[in-house]
Amino acid sequence: MRRIGLSLSRSLLLAGGTGLFAAASVTVAEPFTQAVTGTTPAAIQLPAAAGTSAADTTGRSMARSQLETAQQSVVKLFGAGVGNLDSYGSGVLISPEGHVLTVWNHLINTGYLTAVTHTGRRYAVRVVGTSRDHDLAVLQLQAEPDQKFPHIDLSRSVEADAGASVMGFSNMFHVATGNEPVSVVHGTIAIRAPLQAGQGRWQLPVKTPVLIVDAVTNNSGAAGGLLTLTDGTPVGLIGREIRQQDSQTWVNYAVPLTTLAPIADGIRSGRPPEPAAASTAPPPQLSDRQLTARFGITLLPNVVERTPAWIDAVASNSPAAQAGLRRGDLIVLLDDDVIASVTDVQQQLAARRPGQRVSITISRQQQLLSVELRIP
Amino acid sequence: MNNMRVRVAFVLLAGLLPAAQELCAQDNAAPLRAREAARMEVLQRIAPTVVCVMAADGQGGGSGVLISADGYAVSNFHVTSACGHFMKCGLNDGRVYDAVIVGLDPTGDVALIKLLGRDDFPFATPGDSDQVQVGQEVMALGNPFLLAADFSPTVTYGIVSGIHRYQYPANTFLEYTDCIQIDASINPGNSGGPLFDIQGRWIGINGRASFEKRGRVNAGAAYAISVRQVLLFVDHLKCGLIVDHGITSFTTATADDGRTLVSQVSEVSEAWRRGLRPQDELISFADRSIGSANDFQNILGIFPEGTRLPLTWRNPMGVQSATIRLQPLHAFQDVPQLPGEKPSRPDEPQELQLDELAPAAKVPDALAGLFEERSGFANYYFNKLRTRELLEPLQASLRSGQPAAADAAAATSPPARPTWILQLTAAGNTADQPAAAAAELVVGEAGAGYSIGNRDWYQPAKQPVPENEPPSLYGLLTAALQWQRLLTHTDAAFDEVVAQGQVRHLPSGQVVRVLLTREGTRTARWYFADGSPLPVGVDVQFVEGADEARVMFADWQTTAPPGVPWPERIGVIQADSEQITWLRVSGLEVRQPDQKQAASASGPPAPAAPASTRPSPATTSSSGATP
Repeated sequence: MRRIGLSLSRSLLLAGGTGLFAAASVTVAEPFTQAVTGTTPAAIQLPAAAGTSAADTTGRSMARSQLETAQQSVVKLFGAGVGNLDSYGSGVLISPEGHVLTVWNHLINTGYLTAVTHTGRRYAVRVVGTSRDHDLAVLQLQAEPDQKFPHIDLSRSVEADAGASVMGFSNMFHVATGNEPVSVVHGTIAIRAPLQAGQGRWQLPVKTPVLIVDAVTNNSGAAGGLLTLTDGTPVGLIGREIRQQDSQTWVNYAVPLTTLAPIADGIRSGRPPEPAAASTAPPPQLSDRQLTARFGITLLPNVVERTPAWIDAVASNSPAAQAGLRRGDLIVLLDDDVIASVTDVQQQLAARRPGQRVSITISRQQQLLSVELRIP
Repeated sequence: MNNMRVRVAFVLLAGLLPAAQELCAQDNAAPLRAREAARMEVLQRIAPTVVCVMAADGQGGGSGVLISADGYAVSNFHVTSACGHFMKCGLNDGRVYDAVIVGLDPTGDVALIKLLGRDDFPFATPGDSDQVQVGQEVMALGNPFLLAADFSPTVTYGIVSGIHRYQYPANTFLEYTDCIQIDASINPGNSGGPLFDIQGRWIGINGRASFEKRGRVNAGAAYAISVRQVLLFVDHLKCGLIVDHGITSFTTATADDGRTLVSQVSEVSEAWRRGLRPQDELISFADRSIGSANDFQNILGIFPEGTRLPLTWRNPMGVQSATIRLQPLHAFQDVPQLPGEKPSRPDEPQELQLDELAPAAKVPDALAGLFEERSGFANYYFNKLRTRELLEPLQASLRSGQPAAADAAAATSPPARPTWILQLTAAGNTADQPAAAAAELVVGEAGAGYSIGNRDWYQPAKQPVPENEPPSLYGLLTAALQWQRLLTHTDAAFDEVVAQGQVRHLPSGQVVRVLLTREGTRTARWYFADGSPLPVGVDVQFVEGADEARVMFADWQTTAPPGVPWPERIGVIQADSEQITWLRVSGLEVRQPDQKQAASASGPPAPAAPASTRPSPATTSSSGATP
């Protein structure tokens, strides 16, 4: 009986759609919960009046107002997760109109993204633009026109260096739901250096220096969180859980906001991001004719830069038909690889060998489903 | 000459320069050194209170913290459950002490043990965990990875990452509510150990951490049970109980607009009787405002079952308030087993258990008497102690007035109770009785009766039912029947007598110890305040689905006649309003049962040998008449 309230709360959260939450605050215990003490000499002593510092002594203190501003600038992102993919993450509000900076991850394409702010209010999210080269996405919360969000000012971000004390704000381990504040951790920048690291097939595309932190800032759900100095100055966007290439050890990194700010500004103003400096030969990809002939899949005509991978037709008795694909399905993932466009499908399928089995995740009628296809 | 001077000057200067450099460095480092010195001083004070808890054969274990000089220490249930009834505890003086299990809170993962052999153990001073703020510095002390061969605790430092965190049960019954999330390094072996603020005040018990891709080692997120929750349970635990958490008879959900609404209410519940209905909006619970269904769960989770708590809510007619008693969540009869823990999702927090231990070694003979097995108790020995602590002063205050024969009642089934006749004045502020009036309360073996003016009510002792109670004094008769039992034969009058910790009594707000008695289907909770051997109140649950009888006693008179203490004031708590209706008692007359009457056990016995008193202000001695 006792858990019904909670599961309802969580399912409401994940259901998507917009909702209005009254700004709710939890006040701390009043006299009733004063602990009942008996003959034990240990009695409750109230501490001296709390100061404005987040730490009681000098050195690592962060003013309460700055800490709260930073916490309120980080949103909790939720989407529909599949298999071993995270169904949540973090994002940083960067404008009063509700623009959010986060890592470019699979949540973007599913279309079921919901952001929850510090008030507990849920918002639908639209994707403004992305930059794969910087592992960056800019989103915007769908809100009333006159709504103003707490946010960080990217132009205030600074270059941080080894030895700087930092604070990380994120929804690590999805501890915070609803109106609960995101988690705060402390650490020191160990080094500022280029990082070669990845997880599975994914490699960190950022080639410019990143900040490596000596604390565990990067956990499930933390990607897209905010790294600041102890005075609240924003310095980095917390990255993913990846391993350094040679040592294969987990590394906690954040991409400097000074690197990301011009990219984010470009995306917001509609300018496409700079192409990657060193371009390699384009990867092999299947043509439309090959897709139809070998797999039985006809996707939408690839007319815009990133045409979503909608299936326009499935030939009967084809491998696609046998796998269970249908007209109207949107291809979202091939194994663990995110599919953002028709081109992605053409490239990803070209990289498979005949006989391999590939898991295709599709979006069909607001549901995510997985089918298995044998490469012909 | 010049050369010499220059050389001397050079040497002198050279001697000065390093000192000058050092001085500059010291200025920069001075605040850091001061912080470090303060931290070290605090650690000197608190490290001696940290316990390394081990099974009796010295294997495995976790951590704990001493909370009083006589040796009571708190740890996690999942630590002590692996150790057996007796364990070995190391302190940072290098010595090992025997310890015995005292009480358990399995759901909340708290255990109370008692270290033996000293009455001057160093103990931790609690802070106020509700004042803890995100970003605040904390220190965790314990024995991660069992590194402390000499039992001096490992110290890790961090900040508070979150407060009022809720941790879902992960395939077990363990549920962490209202916890403090920290980024101090917490690893297997830290379980049960204390979390301190930077001034050395005890604010939590470390017990869980989020482990996922990096294995069972610190990943920057750990969770501590708040000291407030621990202290709400500690007196129950001292009674040797397996303490249960509570549930309400209604469920909650967070609505789209952020309000917390009631989903379902059990129609036979106290909440229903007080007017709570589905779709009502919850405002506050236990004096804490509710922002979401999660908040409600967090607030609920810190209290033992049986606690009465205030609730306010809004319905179409406005803001309502009432108090409700928490029902048992699990009703453990015996100590529950923790399954080998496998979280259902890889990122759900896990306990910090070390690997399984060998079975407990033989209990030292000298200590064996400190543990007594009994169903429903973690260690019945301690419940007997606490029950005696309440009953002995009570019995002493009863003996002072009674003839010696009454004491012999203990061994055999007690003789019939006498009849009490109390003369009362009802203040007359109720609807059906506007003016003050004289009334009479008669309590006897067969039943109790209340009469005022030309109206009277009678409640039979065998099957009291709500309908027999006087409407404006609901519960008076049932409570009186129980009260007579307690004062006539104390524990011999009941089927079961159990000490049940301490609570805050409502509506008086007093902190009271609880003695629970069972007689037939009646469960009474007697409340004892420090400084008085006689109860300040009693709540009697006598019919399921009906309100409890809730009565208070004030100004106990213990002068020798009439042979039994009596309260000058009796208060009846009105369930709907939490107001107390006070009755003034001007005297108590005791009529001993006739032998013949006692045998037939029906109806109130005829007056045989009255030993009565009607004290007037001038009288100081008995004026009893003998036949």
